[in-house]
Amino acid sequence: MPKREAGARRPLPQAKEPMGPDALRDVRIVDLSWIVAGPTCTRVLADFGAQVIKVEYEGAPDYIRGSPPFVEDQPGVNRSGFFNNLNRNKLGITLNVRHPRGMELLRELIAISDVVVENFSSRVMEERWGLGYEEQRKLRPDIIYCALSGFGHSGRHRDYTTWGPTAQAHSGVTFMSGLPDHEPAGWGFSYMDHTAGYQAAIAILMALHHRQRTGQGQWIDLSQVEGGVAITGTAILDYAVNGRPYRRVGDRADHPQVAPHNAYRCLGQVIVGEGQHDGRWCVIACFNEEQWCALCRVIGEPHLATDPRFATNADRLRHQDELDVLIEGWTRTLPPREVMERCQQAGVPSGMVQNARDKVGDDPQLRARGFFPEVDHPEIGRFKYEGVPAKLSVTPGKVLRSSPVLGQHNEYIYREVLGFGAEELEQMMVEGVI
Amino acid sequence: MSALEDLAVLDLTDEKGQLMGKLLADMGAYVVKVEPPGGDPARRTGPFAGDGEGRERSLYWWQFNTSKRSVTLDITRQEGQKLLQRLANRADILLESFQPGYLDSLGLGYEALSALNPRLVYTSLTGFGQTGPYRDFLTSDVVALAMGGTMASCGYDDVTDAPPIAPRGYHGYSIGCHWGLIGTLVALHHRDQTGRGQRVDASVHEAVSCTTEAAMPWYFYQRKVPMRQTGRHHAVRPTPKNQLPAADGKFIMAWAVPRTPRHWESLIGWLAQHGEERELVENPHIREVFLSAERGAPEEVHRVWAAIARMIAKLPSDEVFHEAQKRGYPWGIVRPPEEVLADPHFQERGFFVPVEHPEDGRAYLYPRAPYVFSQTPWRIRRRAPHVGEDNREVYIEWLGLAPEELEALRSQGVV
Repeated sequence: MPKREAGARRPLPQAKEPMGPDALRDVRIVDLSWIVAGPTCTRVLADFGAQVIKVEYEGAPDYIRGSPPFVEDQPGVNRSGFFNNLNRNKLGITLNVRHPRGMELLRELIAISDVVVENFSSRVMEERWGLGYEEQRKLRPDIIYCALSGFGHSGRHRDYTTWGPTAQAHSGVTFMSGLPDHEPAGWGFSYMDHTAGYQAAIAILMALHHRQRTGQGQWIDLSQVEGGVAITGTAILDYAVNGRPYRRVGDRADHPQVAPHNAYRCLGQVIVGEGQHDGRWCVIACFNEEQWCALCRVIGEPHLATDPRFATNADRLRHQDELDVLIEGWTRTLPPREVMERCQQAGVPSGMVQNARDKVGDDPQLRARGFFPEVDHPEIGRFKYEGVPAKLSVTPGKVLRSSPVLGQHNEYIYREVLGFGAEELEQMMVEGVI
Repeated sequence: MSALEDLAVLDLTDEKGQLMGKLLADMGAYVVKVEPPGGDPARRTGPFAGDGEGRERSLYWWQFNTSKRSVTLDITRQEGQKLLQRLANRADILLESFQPGYLDSLGLGYEALSALNPRLVYTSLTGFGQTGPYRDFLTSDVVALAMGGTMASCGYDDVTDAPPIAPRGYHGYSIGCHWGLIGTLVALHHRDQTGRGQRVDASVHEAVSCTTEAAMPWYFYQRKVPMRQTGRHHAVRPTPKNQLPAADGKFIMAWAVPRTPRHWESLIGWLAQHGEERELVENPHIREVFLSAERGAPEEVHRVWAAIARMIAKLPSDEVFHEAQKRGYPWGIVRPPEEVLADPHFQERGFFVPVEHPEDGRAYLYPRAPYVFSQTPWRIRRRAPHVGEDNREVYIEWLGLAPEELEALRSQGVV
């Protein structure tokens, strides 16, 4: 158990940019990551004020700069909305690691930084770039080095690579999504890129606390597949303890086993994709008798509460098919937000299936919480961004800047931070170093 | 040495918040789970060890409460509130997930506790946050996944009348907990620098709402909503199916073949071994389109994937996986979670760790966190606690109550 003691404190460094009270203003991060997982990690830290220096090169820009959606559907290295949302608040520099002088610059950057983040496959940093943890320590003894890879940096498959969907499949989270009598529905996006990014941010923040107290940095080896297994709920224990393999349940209750618990079709349609129609849906779940009785009143069938088919949770589980038909008979007559609001007002857990349009246009909660801030981008103009879901009372996360255009902060980082003169900078550009 | 060994944490969360405290406890924090005298409601969530219900047999409890201490405390009573204030006075972090306003009504809100302990980081993780018109809405894991947009992106495009799907494994709660913990650790960093704690107001709805990859940008930039597709990414324009059955019935996640000439040649070579290259080789236009198509999926790309699907259907899933990885394609096998237990790679990484359950006279395997720290290893200190198992240690040894005081509280039913 911890005792109160004054740990060795590092001196409070000066803010590197005048950005107000940001919790992580003393943290400088060399961000070698790209695509989604690593950039999610550094976005989280940048939103709270860390100085994230995103390293790219004209011949090797972040892959997501080439990924849609683009402004006005016109591709361009600074025009991807996907990239802009993911890399806001970061500083961007160009640096050619294939040029010996470029590699020297990278080493200089590491020497003045607190954290290095990368999500390459496991051989790149150590074997190709000669920048494994031991080498980084020589440059900066208390460096925190977070390596985010698919299979981790040890084990027989350490050279295998993943994207989000691979990690989802291989860890079990794809399998756990879908209807019992069909193939897995899986995930409609790279969930494990988000999650591995969050897990990496958590790990880095824990390592920063340890460094604050002891002055010691460390190497964090994070595997995206392991990240998936870590969030399969009780599936591993149910097998390890009870020998029970996982079975899909659709939208019905897994655990706790309760009914009703499903997604119900509501009134109306929406346009998705480029003209396809999709239905409207609302989730309803009752976890106790009180909620069940309230639902019976909401759907105008109070007698169901005393119907022997539905008298207890066990009865309702047995007669779920009939129950779902009865509930859907009501939900089909109303738009989903009305279904949700009537249920919630009666104390029944319920949520409409919202798409992006619903969230931005019609969700009064997200609007009231200011969840879609807008900032200007130097080339593409003013757009909305996703907000920061944890509101800190003293040091709130902020969206202050768009993503950097390629090389936007070369001048600031190379001249003001690393101290090069204008001529040297010019020379490095001419020689293809930056 | 542990990364968080200097920290004391009070964990007052229900099902939706317990992952936060577990992640702290497994990294060395002294996390005290504060339960009502009858035990935390999460203990009633299955599945149960040996399928026998009982408050010490919930695997949900086991999974999300490793390394924690447990005390019982009735915070609805005045003596209980006083004791919680004393605990909070000693703590670095308090985690809670009650409906907004509940702890304030007991005199245990942020204002009250921070007045006693200005260093305290006080984190509330709720369905919708502390403010706004939906603040009192009830949440659940599927409610969170519906409202936040996960379900709008997950499901089927080839199953008639299929609903949007909520992936299982408590991901709504996981995403909420990851964000709640990020906020907590950021606030801790600030406190380490300044000595000042703060309030963290984390919303599961907002956490899920920013965890849908390109769905939000598609709307921000083009006012479009991607549609669900079976076993693959949501998309604005339909893309070829890449979750493909192998000869043994398992599905391959054939996510992508990198669009470089080298990978194209390797793909043709592999297809040729199984007699599926002809259509692609005879039409040079296909190569060109495949290598250049960045957006959408023209007919030529669908034909490449049809050839890949035919080849995969002839081969066992393991062979496809290893061969694809050797060729540099990021493919995987769609595996049930329990199959990872037998995977030698993850065994070599020590990913599954035995945790002793003395009552059962044996150890069970638990997954570790996804991170390996070089200096401050992750470690499960102990299986999840029994109800009030650590009353004596926490109240007497840590908080400094006299044994008679504890006995008096016990006889009054406060602990």
